[in-house]
Amino acid sequence: MQLIGRVRRVHEPIRLVVSPLRRTDPRTRLLLSVSASLAVMLPLERTLIFMGLYTLLLAWARLLPSAGRQIWRLRWVLIVLFAFDAIFVDLTLAVTVTLRIVLLASVFALFVGTTTPEELRLALERLGVPYRYAFSLSLAFLSFDLLRDEWRAIQEAQMARGAWAPRVRLRDLALSDLLALTVPAIVLTTRRAWALTEAAAARGFDAPHRRAYRELKMGRVDGLVIAITAIVVGLLLFL
Amino acid sequence: MFGVLTADRVAYRYSGNSMGLEPVSIGLQAGDALLVAGPSGCGKSTLARCLTGMIPHLYRGQLTGNVSLCGLDSRSTPLWRLSECAGFVFQNPAAQLVASSVEDEILFGLENLGLARAEMRTRLDEALVRFGLDTLRARSPLTLSGGEQQKLVLAATLARHPPILVMDEPLSMLDSAAAEMLVNDLASVAQAGTAIVICEHRFEPLATLPGLRTLRVAPPHEPSSQAGAVVAAPLSAVPSFSLVVEDLGVSLGQCRVLNELAFQVPGGQIMAIVGRNGVGKTTLLRALAGLQRHDGSVLVNGQRPDLAMVFQNPDLQFFNPTVREEILYGISEPDLERYQGLLQILGLSAYAQTPPLLLSEGEKKRVALAIALMRGPRHGVLLDEPSLGQDAAHKACLMRLARAVADSGRSVIMTTHDLSLAAQADRMALLGEAGFLADGRPGEVLRDSSAWSRSGLKVAPWILAAQAEDALCN
Repeated sequence: MQLIGRVRRVHEPIRLVVSPLRRTDPRTRLLLSVSASLAVMLPLERTLIFMGLYTLLLAWARLLPSAGRQIWRLRWVLIVLFAFDAIFVDLTLAVTVTLRIVLLASVFALFVGTTTPEELRLALERLGVPYRYAFSLSLAFLSFDLLRDEWRAIQEAQMARGAWAPRVRLRDLALSDLLALTVPAIVLTTRRAWALTEAAAARGFDAPHRRAYRELKMGRVDGLVIAITAIVVGLLLFL
Repeated sequence: MFGVLTADRVAYRYSGNSMGLEPVSIGLQAGDALLVAGPSGCGKSTLARCLTGMIPHLYRGQLTGNVSLCGLDSRSTPLWRLSECAGFVFQNPAAQLVASSVEDEILFGLENLGLARAEMRTRLDEALVRFGLDTLRARSPLTLSGGEQQKLVLAATLARHPPILVMDEPLSMLDSAAAEMLVNDLASVAQAGTAIVICEHRFEPLATLPGLRTLRVAPPHEPSSQAGAVVAAPLSAVPSFSLVVEDLGVSLGQCRVLNELAFQVPGGQIMAIVGRNGVGKTTLLRALAGLQRHDGSVLVNGQRPDLAMVFQNPDLQFFNPTVREEILYGISEPDLERYQGLLQILGLSAYAQTPPLLLSEGEKKRVALAIALMRGPRHGVLLDEPSLGQDAAHKACLMRLARAVADSGRSVIMTTHDLSLAAQADRMALLGEAGFLADGRPGEVLRDSSAWSRSGLKVAPWILAAQAEDALCN
């Protein structure tokens, strides 16, 4: 096997996880995710308690593997930040910052792994966000896979012409390396955004009489999840 | 009597450049089919945007003349209302997908019509069945093949029951089987009373569309390509060699894409690799270029070959402020004679100081080819769908350049859906899921009906006739 570079291509989009949380209303999942994100404001001891409870939730929702993968992707950021804070500030801050990033990454995994872009759009609409903004956010959500694939394609194309090389040492990085990757990325993203604008307009986007096909409905599981979330957040914030 | 679509001396100029559309007049009744043909840069896509109301609603430029859709003036009617009259399908289906499942992709347009839920359900089911997508309804559109994505976009557009359907180069990304299916679908759409406008370079597959009329659009300025120019060898000659591929296999995730491929390509040969969408043609090129992890070996004289690759999308590579800087980037002692020769051969001399991102798609492809050739690869070039978006004159120019590269002793390996282009190569290989189903001279491969049948593709009779005529002339 021979390889001149290490640009890995994955054509599969991010998949939904088979999880009991899929049975809940997307508004419940949104509330749960926002509430969990707010835990980054807690002091270290309470963050640790919350992380314990949150890990139980992820285990119940069968989301531990996907959260683990998300955190693994950030391993170098976490290691560098931890080392920097531990050396230049103190160990408590290093642990706190690392835990907060781990928490945010696992919240991202929870939401992305259980919610489709259409569900996000509907949830936002029902929460009073105007349709055009809800639609734009759902498109951005949908574009994660495309952006990931395009970034890899750019790396590969620049590597093929010798304009960029993977695994360069930080001190070897030149402005031209950054330009070689970022200029095409900006151009492609802008073009994609424009193409999607045209595509949406061609199918009647912004029509005043729009009617959603799917309806959202809260059930008993939603009530239970919301109540537990409210109690946990309340206890951690105010006790 | 008013037609469903009327364009009266419609012309357009984009703000800030000379590109646009010369005056065109069109009148279409229900069930009419019109092919808009013309060279690259003549304004076919611009006309499609004018006929669907995208111009003037989404573009700031100078529009003259009038467009009327179902009696509605395109200037004064809101775009969402115009979209109910004219459906618009673009060249690249993947770039117009707005949902995370096949079902939601179709529902997006139906929701915007404000239909009752029962009616949406009926139209959704009809569209899924009609286009053979019912088994794919929960799939992510991004995981579909190019042909399936094109079908999905067409299904999503037609589920809205527009009286007019406008398509911009719908065949350019499709293999011959998917193209034939699309033409059959369009025939039934026209029969049902929808007026169809198709802007397309590859007009031969559309010849079977009943009642098809043709409108030829003139370019707003002289084409920049020097397609008729005599091509001198852009590269110095290299000693003879043979590219040897043995037991080449590639897995993408859980999927085995290529398996135990073995072949040789001698220097000086132009090899065209054809096959269905998604069969692994681009993956094969990436493996040959050393960009894809693979099993087996790709060697020239026991060493990794020096092959340059030209990608399908040239925008992936451009980041310099001028064409000159783009082509010469990273070359410490550039051969300026070769640079000037490439500019001349590729019809880019006038654009040396132009930002590459401002060029047309065809011109960008030629800049990407110049970048690859300027490096002076010792063993040849790999071209991924080089004829995409190119008109006949540019394709002829491309083949002459490929021949000049081959004459220097290097190999040229290209993947293409365009069988008329592949027929001009020295060798054609038909790639199937189990490896090469046929490999030999283009005339022989094109006539191997059993191999084509196994690949799921068809060779249109006009390609066979044209190939036989070429063989006779040569």
